[in-house]
Formats: sequence, structure tokens, C-alpha cells
Amino acid sequence: MNFCTLGRYRGGLSLKLGRSGSNSGLDLVVLPLQDTFNYIAATSIMSTSKKVITREDWEKKLNDAKIRKEDMNKLVMNFLVTEGYVEAAEKFRMESGTEPDIDLTTITDRMAVKKAVQCGNVEDAIEKVNDLNPEILDTNPQLFFHLQQQRLIELIRNGKVEEALEFAQEELAPRGEENQSFLEELERTVALLAFEDVSNCPVGELLDISQRLKTASEVNAAILTSQSHEKDPKLPSLLKMLIWAQNQLDEKATFPRIKNFSTAALEDPSI
Amino acid sequence: MPSSAACKRPENLVEGLSSKDPGTRLKALRDLKNQIIGNRTKKLRYVKLGAVPLVSEMLESGSESVVLVQAIATLGSFGCGLDAGVEAIVKSGALPYLFSTLANPDEKVVEAGARSLRMIFQSKLTPKYNILEDKEMDFLFSLLNSENETVTELAASIIMHSCETTEEQKALCGSGVLDKLALLLEGSSNQRDASLDSLASVVKNNREVVSKFVGLHNGKVLSSVNGLTKDRSPRTRLLACSLLIALGRACPSQLQDIESKADLVRILVELVEEPGRAGDEAPRALGDLIEKSEEVQKLACSVNAVEKLCKFLHKGSIQAKPLAGILHALAELCSNLEDNRRLFLSLQGLPLVAEMLNHESVGVRIAACICIRNISRSVKNLSDGLTDKSIVIPLIHLFDDPSIEVQVAALGATSNILVHFTTHKSIVFECGGVKQLVKLSSSMVSELRVNAVSALRNLMFQADKMCKENIMLELTISTLASLICDPEPFVQEHALVLLRNLVNGNVDCINYVFAEDGLIINAVTRQVWNASSVGICIQGIYVLANIAAGDEFHKEEVMRILFPLPEDGRNQSILIKFLQDSSSPKLRVATLWCIINLSHLDSPGAVDRIARIRGAGITCAIKIMVNDPCLDVKFRAKMAMDQLMASGN
Repeated sequence: MNFCTLGRYRGGLSLKLGRSGSNSGLDLVVLPLQDTFNYIAATSIMSTSKKVITREDWEKKLNDAKIRKEDMNKLVMNFLVTEGYVEAAEKFRMESGTEPDIDLTTITDRMAVKKAVQCGNVEDAIEKVNDLNPEILDTNPQLFFHLQQQRLIELIRNGKVEEALEFAQEELAPRGEENQSFLEELERTVALLAFEDVSNCPVGELLDISQRLKTASEVNAAILTSQSHEKDPKLPSLLKMLIWAQNQLDEKATFPRIKNFSTAALEDPSI
Repeated sequence: MPSSAACKRPENLVEGLSSKDPGTRLKALRDLKNQIIGNRTKKLRYVKLGAVPLVSEMLESGSESVVLVQAIATLGSFGCGLDAGVEAIVKSGALPYLFSTLANPDEKVVEAGARSLRMIFQSKLTPKYNILEDKEMDFLFSLLNSENETVTELAASIIMHSCETTEEQKALCGSGVLDKLALLLEGSSNQRDASLDSLASVVKNNREVVSKFVGLHNGKVLSSVNGLTKDRSPRTRLLACSLLIALGRACPSQLQDIESKADLVRILVELVEEPGRAGDEAPRALGDLIEKSEEVQKLACSVNAVEKLCKFLHKGSIQAKPLAGILHALAELCSNLEDNRRLFLSLQGLPLVAEMLNHESVGVRIAACICIRNISRSVKNLSDGLTDKSIVIPLIHLFDDPSIEVQVAALGATSNILVHFTTHKSIVFECGGVKQLVKLSSSMVSELRVNAVSALRNLMFQADKMCKENIMLELTISTLASLICDPEPFVQEHALVLLRNLVNGNVDCINYVFAEDGLIINAVTRQVWNASSVGICIQGIYVLANIAAGDEFHKEEVMRILFPLPEDGRNQSILIKFLQDSSSPKLRVATLWCIINLSHLDSPGAVDRIARIRGAGITCAIKIMVNDPCLDVKFRAKMAMDQLMASGN
């Protein structure tokens, strides 16, 4: 937001033009009162120290940037494949002719694992992961711990307290012994067993579906990494880069920004 | 959903593995696999129950693919990060069978086999692959050329594991391994990582291979490795940095570019904070880079390495291996540069490191000691914290540590710290430190002896009379005499310095030298005449010089020693020999001091002694030395000449 403040100052006026939140601005100090109004009239047309890019210029620049359709398709395919939308990927491949960078059959396997975790069938998920690639859980102690943790949570959720206690002792405690950094989370999870009303206790959020989704996402990422694939889709990163670039440019120039990322509408600069 | 696998007792499962019914066997095998993956505790349990040979048998008996895949995966899991598991696998004779699976027509079996072998070859306990044998080399290259990614990664793993000697490196290089590995650098991320890792083994300490590698494709391969230090994957960044460091170590002219070295430090310091394997191994690589290089220590300053590492240390809950690595890196950073040490102390690094002296890991304790040792190279006025109880007492406790390496490191640190004590050395006595040091000075392990005597030497340095007496009470004259004649030259030298410090400044203390039938003085005499190392001669002469600063009796004794009668059987012109020793200015200076003290004009027998010294032709020898190239020698020579000529004649 631009501001323009006037103040009385020892027989004159001080005038400050600037942009809030930025260091730049114009400071005009002590104008003799008589000349003030003429001066202000002149300065209201004057721009700030930043460069202004008009909408016309901006749109022209955007149009001049040549982006290949194939590249955009690759980005979409990369998103579908990483997130595991097999059918959509298949269809997209047929319609656009874009080749996925992963074998679509492996996606099905990976999705089965993800789904199993999301449904709370952790043991099944573990077996599936081990069939897919036995190295994954062997080389990802944190992931393995989180899966075991999820198993415990599911047992508690189903009210199987005895089994849960035994499981915690047999399977989770050794994880804490093998690696001290797990101890804190281990304690939190076991704390669930101490409460009558689990859903309302301090660690109740562990019973949320979001916890399952978190674990599922972790497994998904680990499988992708083991297949030499990036675990994050590129599109969200591009979006982040766009926001960053706009903020950077904002410090040096005024230009039509995109504020609404679903419409990608250009909004005129504020001056 | 009931956890059926967890309900089954391990003993029952193992029984199931030997069942006659193939269906039962397969189920038991699957259950076993799913139980042990990720679970170190269970792996150990099943190894103890003898599961590994049973699984190996299933591999050998030419089973169908379904069984093979499960068996292979199970073995691979046993071998994952578990020494006992690898041992059991090797003992069961499974390795050749695992290798044969790589030729299996079923792709799934090959994939499983490659994975498991790759895992097993991470362990040092796995027997070396015989690279130098032609057949084996050919087989290795067939793996490198495979279409299957995992198989190529296995080949790289084998190279990393088994390529150790120059011969092996040469053989691999000669067969074109560099080209193949360079190709893998362009492959998938896993292939690329495996390639970087194995390249480090092939180039290690081998200038020839390094220059071949650098010249590959006109330097393009090297550029791409440089580029990989900025890759998205932390593990790739680490491996690329490690490879560059290895190249630089083998061929220092390689890593000439200062900017790239600073980059490497910065990247590695950032990697320390990464979770997972990359973060665990980054400190070691950082230590390797900084090692003994003052240049890199300075560069590290410019990227705030000390601050970042200290900050990370303060966060706490770091596993033993990376913790030891970070301490080593900090120790290296502080090894030469006062600025870095000052910074470390100002960041409250010392109390942290002091805590680590009690850590359960041997590696961490050693690293903490080395860190303290290097910090204590600091000049006095910066080292207030070092003489504090919180450092000294835990260090002295480590003299009793079960690990000899820890004892040695603790001694080294204590030795340096002792120099910083000006007065009040009593704390060392109070916690039994002196007793311990004396005990260690007669250890069978020479390294312990050397370091213990070095510490005692520093303790004796500028100590007050009572302190000196207390030390000698523990040490005893006979022990000191035997240390002076110890089989280890370094022990001899430190012992002589200890003696030198003892007799320096207190006339009463000089009497120790003549007590007990002159045990010590005889030992010193023997050393001065017989020692082959110039260092020992220097210290011996200084001892005599210090004794000659005592009373009349002392001066006469030194005269008797240095100017032997023919029937004494010793070289009569030893002093002239030392004065004329062109290789060591220090020896010349020490000898001059001796003469200066003997001819000191204020003592009663000075005139007589001067006459005897002149009579032995010493003056002629010293006359020439007034033009000695070494300033110190020149000055002392003039001082000696002035005294010798002052009594007329």
C-alpha cells in the first residue's frame, strides 16, 4: 500500500511518499508553506522509485515466453504418476502421447501399499512393501518405526488393549533401544494406553485419520526413492517458485501479480 | 486384524523352515522375512536360533522361483547392517549360490539376488571379491554391462567393497572401469550414487588413476561430479563431495581452486544437519577435508563452520557416529588456528565437549579428548576454562578407561592442559592423577608410556618446590632413571625434559640427581654419550646445564662428567663435537649454556673451571661460533667468550 503523509514541521510541511513494508520511499522535507500546494499537485503524479511495468507490457512478455506443450504435459504426467493416479495417467498418456517416467504397473503396487495404510491395514501394507522391495524397510528405520507405531495405534483404536500392550513391548520398545531418537515419539504413542477416553486425551491426535495419511505419504515417498524417482511432484515446487519470484520482483518493480492461483488472473498494480 | 506373525513363537517358525511340506516351508519363510525386515532385534534372535543355514539350504536345493525370491530376500535382510548376520551367511556357504541367481532366467530372481548381494557387500565381514583374477574381473564387467539397474549397482558395490590395493585399482582401471562408472553417473539416481561411491575406492591415493579420471572425456566427467555437489539429493551431494576430496588427497594439485574448497566446506557443513544417512556421514567427510590443512581451516572460517557445528551440537540427541565425526571436525578446525579456538570457546563449546568425555561410545570419547587437546594448544590467556575441574577430573578418569585408544587420547589432552596450569596443580594430585600417570609410565604399551611421561613432564614444568617433591615421591628416583634409559626414544627424551624441569630453578631439587648412588646422573651421562638421536643429546646437555646452575658441588660434578679422564673410557671431546654439530643449532645453544653456567664468574671455583675449559680447547671452538648463522648461537657464543676471557690470560 502506498502512503503519502503530510505533517507540519517548523513552519513548513514534510511530505513522505512511500510503500509500507519496504525501505524505499521519498522523503521531501520542509517545504515553505506557500509553495506546498503547488508542489503536492506536481508530486502526486510522480511515481515511486520502483520501475513500473504496465499490464500491456507484462502480458506481452508473458506471451513472448515460449513454453513447449510437451514440457507442460510432462509436468502433468509427473504429477499424476507421483501422486499415484494410475487411471488418469493412462488416459492422459493416450490423449496426449506423453510417456510416463515410471512404469505404470509399479504405480499400482505402490498405490496398493498406500491404500492399505490409509485403511489402517498396516500389517498388510508391510507385507506388500516387502514384496515390492525388501530393502525399503530395512534401510529406512524411521519409516519402519512409523509403520509399527501405526500398527499400535490401530490396535488401540480397536480397543485391543492386551494385544496393544504386548505389541508395544515386543515390537516398539526394541525400536527405541536401537535408536534413541525414537524414544520421544514412542512415549507419546504408548501414552495412549494410559487414557480411558483416548479420543480426548493430549495425544489423541495420533488417532486422527491424518496420522494414517502422514504415514501413507511417508511410505509412498520411500517407495519412489527406492525406484530412483523423485518423491515430490514438480508442480507444487513450481508454484512455490512462482510465489517466490513474484515476491522478489515486488521489491524492485510494480507489475501485475497473480494473487489467485486457481484462476491465475493478473491483477493490476496498485498505482 | 490379528498380528498372526507376532503370535508365532520364533522357535516354531524355525521348525517350520525344516518342514517336509513345501507349503509350510514357504509360509514359514515368508513369515520369517516379514518379521526380520527392519527389525534388528529379531534378526539377532533368529540368527542365534540357526535360521540362516536353513534358509541357505532352500537356495541351494534348486527350488522354484517363488521360494528362491523369498529365500534370497530373507538372506539379504539378515545381511543388512548386521555383522552377526553376514557372518552366518558366509559360514553357511550361501554366497556362491547367491551369485548364481544372477544368471537365473526369471527377472524377479535376478533382481532379488542383486539386491541381497548388494546389501551383503556393504559389510566389511564379507570376503573380498577377487578382482585380480581374470574370470572374476570378466564376471564383474558383465555385471557392469547389465541391462538391469540393480545388477549394475551391485557391480559398483563390489568394487567399492573389494578394491583396496594399488594393484587392484590398476587392474580395474586397465579394464576400463572408469568409463563404465562414468556411464553410470548418467544413469538413475541410485546408479549415480553407487558409481560415486565406488569411484572413491578406485581413485583413492592413486595419482595415476586420478589423472586418468580427470582426463576422461576432456574433463567433462569431473565437471559433472562438481555439478553433483549441488544436486537435490543430500546423499548425492555427500558422495560427490567425498569423491572430490578423495581426488584432492591423491593429487593435491587437483583441488587447487580455493573457491571450490570453500564450497565443499559449506556444502558439507549444511549436510551435517540433514536427517538420515547423509547427515550421519557428512561430519567424517568434513573432517577428511579439513585434515591438517591450514588453508581449509581458514576457509572454514569464512563459511562460519565453527558456529554452525557448535550450534548443531547444542541441539543435542545426536547418534554416536555423527557425533564423533562432528567432534573430529571441530578438533581439526581448531588444530592450528587460534581464531577458531577462540571462537569455539566463546560459543560455550567446552562444557559440551566435557560432557562427551562420559559418553558411552568409545569413538565419541576419543574424539572429545582430541578436541580438548587441540583447543588446549591455545595461548594461556584464552584457556581459563581448560584448567577447570569439570574438564580435568573426567579426563583423569579416562586414564582408567577400558579402551587403550581412549587412554592415549586422554593422556594427550591432559598433557597439553597441564602446561596451562600456573599454580594450584593440586587438583591433579587430589583426584589421583599423578598416581595414575606414574602407573601408566610403566605400561607395556609404548604409546601409553610416551604420553604419560609427556604429561608428567608438563606437570613438572615451573612447578613449585613442594609440587616437585610430591611428584618425585610418587615417581621415585629409580623409575625416573629407568625411564631415561627406556627402549622407546621418545620416552627417553620426555624423561630427560622431565628431569630438566625438575632441576630447573631449585637447587635442592638438583640433589635428586645424585641420590641413590647417582642413579639418575649415571643414566644421563650414558645418554649424552651414547644417544643416537640429537633430540636426546640436547635434553641431556640442558639437564647438565641446569645442574651446573646449582652450587659448587653441582658444578664440579658436571665438570667431572663433561671433562672425563682418559681412564673413564668416554669420548673426551664430546663438548667440542656438540659445539661443532652443524645439523643442530639447538644442540650448539644447549652446549653453550652449559659452558656459560660452568664458567659463571660469581662462584668460587670459577677461575679454576675456566682454566680447565680453556685447556680443553673449548675457547677455540667457540671463537668460530661468534659468526654462526644462527642468531641465538651467536649471542650465546659471545656471552660464553666474554666469561671465558674475563679472567685474564
